[in-house]
Amino acid sequence: MRPLRVGIVCPYSFDAPGGVQFHVRDLAEALRAGGHEVSVLAPADEDTEVPDVVTPAGRAVPVRYNGSVARLAFGPRAAARVRRWIDAGRFDVLHLHEPMTPSLSMLALWVADGPVVATFHTSQVRSRALQIAHPLLRQSLEKISARIAVSEDARRTLIDHLGGDAVVVPNGVYVDHFDVPPAPRWQGTPAAPTVAFLGRLDEPRKGLQVLAAAAPRILAEVPGTRFLVAGRGDEGRAEAEAALGEHASSFEWLGGVSDADKATLLASADLYVAPQTGGESFGIVLVEAMSAGTGVVASDLGAFRRVLDDGTAGRLFRTGDAEDLAATVLAALADPAGTEERRERARRFVRTFDWSEVTERVLAVYEMALAASEALGDGAVHEDLLAGRPPWLLGRGPRTRGGVDR
Amino acid sequence: MSWSWSETALVVVVLVGLALWLGWVTASRLDRLHRKVVASRHALQAQLDRRGRVSVDLASAGLLDPASAVLLADAALAALDVPDRTADPRPSEAFSLRGLPPERERAESALSMTLRSVLEDPDEVAELRVTEVGDDLLGDLYSAWYRAQLARRFHNEAVAQARRARRPRVVRWLRLAGRAPLPRTVELDDQMPAGLERA
Repeated sequence: MRPLRVGIVCPYSFDAPGGVQFHVRDLAEALRAGGHEVSVLAPADEDTEVPDVVTPAGRAVPVRYNGSVARLAFGPRAAARVRRWIDAGRFDVLHLHEPMTPSLSMLALWVADGPVVATFHTSQVRSRALQIAHPLLRQSLEKISARIAVSEDARRTLIDHLGGDAVVVPNGVYVDHFDVPPAPRWQGTPAAPTVAFLGRLDEPRKGLQVLAAAAPRILAEVPGTRFLVAGRGDEGRAEAEAALGEHASSFEWLGGVSDADKATLLASADLYVAPQTGGESFGIVLVEAMSAGTGVVASDLGAFRRVLDDGTAGRLFRTGDAEDLAATVLAALADPAGTEERRERARRFVRTFDWSEVTERVLAVYEMALAASEALGDGAVHEDLLAGRPPWLLGRGPRTRGGVDR
Repeated sequence: MSWSWSETALVVVVLVGLALWLGWVTASRLDRLHRKVVASRHALQAQLDRRGRVSVDLASAGLLDPASAVLLADAALAALDVPDRTADPRPSEAFSLRGLPPERERAESALSMTLRSVLEDPDEVAELRVTEVGDDLLGDLYSAWYRAQLARRFHNEAVAQARRARRPRVVRWLRLAGRAPLPRTVELDDQMPAGLERA
């Protein structure tokens, strides 16, 4: 495939990195490594340190949207920046992430025309605001030539809420980055095995309280068990400690950890527990744990079940059920051979999520979007002159030709 | 209250203008959707053609047993030989919105079935991949097949959008879609053999 010029738009700010931002950053790197030219447009303050592929699109404003606070960029100034970036980039393909989030991706879809690929990440609940705005967004949505969902669950959400279909291309992980030596301080022994948890402590759906409720039962059988908890959120910690009472000493609170420490923690612990109670569309941490070679115990959410190859690459327990979680963890600890077998299967299965594989699939989607537009002689990405929109909404910024604007 | 002649005329002019503008907006939206349908069908057809050609190559490469080779060649040629658009002799064939001819869909489904039975056993597929020629051919086949699956999904998506846009009664009464036939989805069996998907 010839080298492409790819423009990627990320709706969330790099000031506060999260799943989508990491995905965008890694995808951009993987595409670059494959010889393609990539530019990423994302909200970020001028003084925020961003990966060098990222073009900062100015400050993101924290706004309450659909039940949580997100840092988004919008308004005529943002629209003008998007337009200048598209003008200057002369992209073959435009790849928008979460185009239904009211931020840069939505603006880019409004401004541009040509081969447009969109990736839907969340399985978010239906937003009434989106329904109200739907007639306005419909024409934009129709410009998308290829839609990607990151999981079967994200695809279902998309079908239910927006109609239409999408192809599933999973999130990527650099599998080999998790092949690190274990650290003795986090390694378990048969008498004192280590069980790791990762995620925000004060977000109930991450399930720390389910683990805390299961811990006494686990400790009754294996008194030496150490629970290594990585993540921020003091309220969650306090609540868990209150629930644990005398057992609190078996929990070690590691706070927020760096990427390197996360890999080491996963490579060292005997088990990784994912007790999430819902709202997960993919389960990237499970893939990371599998890459690191940890045994995985996860709630049986649809997304987790699929990432664990229907439970053959890890153990599943009934979502939210602390009793069942305790029983499953004890079963895993009592059966090292079975855990090892699952680990082995996980190591092979996890290759499907490696960036090398995922990038190939994304490129195949680009190729189809391009093939369709070339079949009609419509060229690369350009400004959409047909969309009926008043010029003042696009901001006043100087309109430049020839890509000199930066 | 009674309107003067000039007031009535003004209202009529405004209403007519508004109607014309709405009509123009809708017509250009339909035009865009129709172009998308045609374009995505071209992309799909190109990948199906490619899959057919690779299948012929695979059948003639001497890597399969003779019975499989004959069956595969037969199915692949049948798919490639379907005349592009028997039902529609008009020169506008390239811009037709009606998907693929039913006989092409049947032939492609049959080719999928034949390929699935030929490449049914993952171990045999792994053995085919040992030779360089086999590996190249199967790599090509996978690539074309996967892209055909993608292209078909994107095409059917475009068709659904176009049909939805043409559903309102006003659009039909005012013939805003012009003489374009109602777009049709492409329905065929394109499930890949388990052994072909790279492990």
